[in-house]
Amino acid sequence: MSGEPVVYFEDIQLGEQYTSPGRTVTEADLVIFAGLSGDYNVLHTDAEHMKASLFGERIAHGLLGLSIQQGLLDRVVPGQAVGPLAAVKWKFKGPIKIGDTIHVEARVSAKKDGEQPRVGLITLERRVVNQRGEVVQEGETDHLVGRRPA
Amino acid sequence: MAGAPAERRLYFEDVQTNVPLETPGMTLTETHATLFGSLTLTPCEPGAIPDLIPLCMSSGLGWRVPQPPLVVLAFMGFEWRFLKPTRVGDTIRSVSTTVAKRSMKEGGVVIEERSILNQRDEVVQSGRLTLLVAKRPSS
Repeated sequence: MSGEPVVYFEDIQLGEQYTSPGRTVTEADLVIFAGLSGDYNVLHTDAEHMKASLFGERIAHGLLGLSIQQGLLDRVVPGQAVGPLAAVKWKFKGPIKIGDTIHVEARVSAKKDGEQPRVGLITLERRVVNQRGEVVQEGETDHLVGRRPA
Repeated sequence: MAGAPAERRLYFEDVQTNVPLETPGMTLTETHATLFGSLTLTPCEPGAIPDLIPLCMSSGLGWRVPQPPLVVLAFMGFEWRFLKPTRVGDTIRSVSTTVAKRSMKEGGVVIEERSILNQRDEVVQSGRLTLLVAKRPSS
């Protein structure tokens, strides 16, 4: 993003932590995501069917939760510190329901050399937490970050 | 489910391993990027497609293969690699193969390998997904 100071691989400290603002997941989010992804599974779209299910109501697509947390964390990580995604390992631990408010807690858990000399790899451990303090999703994301030019 | 039309579905017992299934294609547009950007509150550079869009769209593409829908109870997790960027105008499709299935007390776990290809048949993203699938109700 232009205008923001560039953060290089060397500027990111191992163990650095970030906490995002919260966001309430709405019915509109589910509807837009269903349309965008084409995933109209009853889990996310059929309120009547879901009344009789384990969850009792519609739940957000797991990948909607993943997408929202990505946007939330981008708001608190300094400019370009988190480069393009290289890899994700992710667990969906509990449902996100309409009206739930989620935020993300992340920590820099590893710094490694990248495949190219000018790029490093950072790993963020992330936890998506709801308004009751329950971890609903968690995982690790690897990001390519440019090294400071010599 | 009174009144619901009878619909063919695939249950855990029906899942075949090592049979690749290819979806139709979908062209990625500026509209996809804009919708995704407003949904996630993330600005997007013109012409760029956010990394997560192909992954998200592959789940919907998966419903469009020539077989009844799988009764997925929950998406448990996944491991994914982002190999090449995609741009507005690229057309993606996905190829999935069930590589393992494991019966549980309630339902069964299905492990699926999935690759997303572009119009040049380059793999742009790939990984492995873990799904909890319903067993056929005894009748």
